[in-house]
Amino acid sequence: MIAAALHAAACTTTASGKQYFGKVDPPKGQVLRYVSGSEPESLDPPISSGQPEARIYMAIFEGLTEIDPKTAQPIPGVAERWEANADNTVFTFHLRANARWSNGDPVTAHDFVYSFRRGFDPQTASRNAYMGYDILNAQAFNEGAVFVRDPKTSEWLADPSAPARRLVLPGDLKERESAIGAQHLAEKIRGKEFVPVRAGDIGVDALDDHTLRLRLAQPVPYVAGLMTHQFFRPVPRKAVEQYGDAWTRPGHIITNGPFMVEVWKPYDRLVVVRSPMYWDAENVHLDRITFYPLEDNSTIMNLYKAGEVDAVLNHSVLAAWVDYIRPLKDYMDAPELANDYYQINITRPPMNDVRVRRAFNLAVDRVALAHYRRTAKPLTSFVPEGIFNDYHQAPGLGFDPARAKAQMVEAGYKDANGNYDPSKFPIGDVELTYNTTESNRQIAEFVQAQWKQNLGLTVPLKNMEWKTFLTTRANLEYKGFSRGAWVGDYMDPFTFLNIFSTPRGDNGTGWWDKRYLDLLLEGNRQPDSAKRYELLARAEAMLLEAQPVIPLMSNATNWLKKPYVKGMYANPVTMQAWKFVYIEHDPARWDDDATGPAKAGPHN
Amino acid sequence: MIRFIIRRLLVTVPMVLVVVSLTWGLIRMAPGSFYTSEKKIPPAIEKNLREKYGLNRPWYVQYGKMLSNTVRGDFGSSLKYTGQSVNTILADTLPVSATLGILAYLLALLVGIVSGTLAALRQNTRLDYASMAVAMVGISLPNFVLGPILVLVFSLTWFWLPPARWEGFGSHLVLPVLTLSAVYMAYIARLTRSGMLEVLRSNYIRTARAKGLSERAVLMRHAIRGGLLPVVSFSGPALAFLVTGTVVVERIFALPGLGNYFINANLNRDEPLIIGIVAFLSIVILVFNLCVDVAYGFIDPRVRY
Repeated sequence: MIAAALHAAACTTTASGKQYFGKVDPPKGQVLRYVSGSEPESLDPPISSGQPEARIYMAIFEGLTEIDPKTAQPIPGVAERWEANADNTVFTFHLRANARWSNGDPVTAHDFVYSFRRGFDPQTASRNAYMGYDILNAQAFNEGAVFVRDPKTSEWLADPSAPARRLVLPGDLKERESAIGAQHLAEKIRGKEFVPVRAGDIGVDALDDHTLRLRLAQPVPYVAGLMTHQFFRPVPRKAVEQYGDAWTRPGHIITNGPFMVEVWKPYDRLVVVRSPMYWDAENVHLDRITFYPLEDNSTIMNLYKAGEVDAVLNHSVLAAWVDYIRPLKDYMDAPELANDYYQINITRPPMNDVRVRRAFNLAVDRVALAHYRRTAKPLTSFVPEGIFNDYHQAPGLGFDPARAKAQMVEAGYKDANGNYDPSKFPIGDVELTYNTTESNRQIAEFVQAQWKQNLGLTVPLKNMEWKTFLTTRANLEYKGFSRGAWVGDYMDPFTFLNIFSTPRGDNGTGWWDKRYLDLLLEGNRQPDSAKRYELLARAEAMLLEAQPVIPLMSNATNWLKKPYVKGMYANPVTMQAWKFVYIEHDPARWDDDATGPAKAGPHN
Repeated sequence: MIRFIIRRLLVTVPMVLVVVSLTWGLIRMAPGSFYTSEKKIPPAIEKNLREKYGLNRPWYVQYGKMLSNTVRGDFGSSLKYTGQSVNTILADTLPVSATLGILAYLLALLVGIVSGTLAALRQNTRLDYASMAVAMVGISLPNFVLGPILVLVFSLTWFWLPPARWEGFGSHLVLPVLTLSAVYMAYIARLTRSGMLEVLRSNYIRTARAKGLSERAVLMRHAIRGGLLPVVSFSGPALAFLVTGTVVVERIFALPGLGNYFINANLNRDEPLIIGIVAFLSIVILVFNLCVDVAYGFIDPRVRY
């Protein structure tokens, strides 16, 4: 009913044949009103974990590196430049000398050392700490682990598998004993003492005020991209130490980005204003950005159409509106750094048979699915296509119902004549589990219909409340299929492939292969990026061959901005570099893709 | 009367404690935690979180802490929204929900009582049928349908009123208040009409008329008091629900009220926030019910405590 009403709204403007959606009156001055998604959990970078917060941090906390507004590749932030050693295990960042906090204090390498140590501190309890586990000893410190030292010589016991590194054992007594037993270390440990890993042991050092060195436990070629993540953004030591958890309140908070916090009313608005202390303040165009925390897409669209907001976050255009809005100039479309797939619990029959998994994969017509979804592209491989141009991935399996049936026959589901017989398949042992949302239900019903049509099997659907679903999926308590989706954390195919590098964590399929992990690690050791991509692509091919997942589609960014908002682009992560954004009041210039305001906006 | 009020207030305390205990048990039974999200976190990080928020302590310790928090009226910090105390959230959001609720209720009372009374006085005329038909539509049309229709007409077609958001008193309030009050308006109109019809036929009204009182005096001095009794008993719980957050309307119009928080707190498994809101809601409901019972004593001469 609501959809019908809204659809009617869309139709009323169709008749008028405009090129923009709703009102197009620019606000007075250089101000932007942006819908940023759900209510920010916190303004403490390592504490929050979602995209809505990440968008806000782009305005108030500048990282070592920042995100290019067009390509989403890393660009200089507080760090002017950086370099890596030959095998991508040591990175040196050179910080600009004129970077300042909003209270005028300089931003130095020591601020980053403090912020990283705080982020990994178990007492901070950051959910995103694992993002930095590749930094030397960071994981050990975060897990409260211990080193082993000889009390007489003060020498550290080395890790038998990696002699250059210190041995790390669990801090918990019971876990430590079982680890010692498992690794046959009892002999070596005798007479030694256990020393807790301290913050100072982490591989983050300030070589001087403006040089930061990161030492990594293993090669990580994409560190510059990783540093744009919210976990690695700096926090103001002064405010944190003075106010504790309340340091993020307006009045307490000190920021280092192009903007600083003026007002924060939860569930209502967050207002940031231009920071005069920012090193590049002259080139920041907007005087003020108001972030509205809104989640309901109908409400967001209503506000946008009525001209109450100037731009909105990704995925906010309702499916029913897309056909109408797509041709308008407001529409922002790009392939997104994210994928949608179904994962398979391969530990239970009948899905433990790769031929059965393949059959279900072959029986899905993704082109039809993408057409039905309006804002998606069919995806047969795992890493979303159209984002990493030099990454030549394996194509995966397309739609082929005849071959799907043949696979089922091979797996033994056939009648006396050797023809495929769906009644032989134990349909009671599979179901398709998803978390309850309208769009998940639509996709599940679509795929269910495909399987019914092409395999003659009606897989029961089962929907669950979000958190219940997550627990069920992580513990492999589902049978058959469950919904999966992944949003990349950084601009590299590895962010997708890494999901299956461990049997635990986000994997949730029961599939794990040491050779897969080895290929990934070998790839990351490669200094040459083309060779590295080749190895990663081979790993992806292995994953697609084993088929613990059925890739479905990659989504489009699907958002809107008014024509007078310039400097915002449809990039694969929908992160906006706010310092480049400005309001163009001259309608004649709305269609140019200029790189800056004609009359230097706010300064005259 | 005073004894009655004191006795009722004393019962409120154990009732609230029972309600929060049940809620606490239900939260514990629900799978997942405030930190579960699409990306699964490693066990060590989960341990850090559980330690930081005291979730690794025995259940009776956690339960005891929750009860003592409730008794002291300080519910601690939200788990999801780090650094925000539950009390601050309540203090920030209640005015929004209360403003909306009270305005909607006043509007509903005004329109409902007037139209219900008129319908009763002119029973079986066109006026009666028309107002009851409108009321029937009001009752049948849920606010998640009415809201978008109002937005569609007033905000997106004519661009007269803003479609959503909160800017204090002003044009932003018009549509949410209208949407929210529609159902109550309709209920009150119907309750008033039936209450008045019953009273107008009763002996004491006949007596009043026989005394030679004017129709106006009969209505205002005698009939209204009896006729509005059903409205009064309806008002307690209705008002309690209205001022404490009206989930659907707050969502449609993106208002920073209590209802929005309540829904999200449950989805987020944000225990202190859920307990805080539930305790607060139960107190409000109990107190409003008490107010209704007390009001009865004033309006209806037959009620004695």
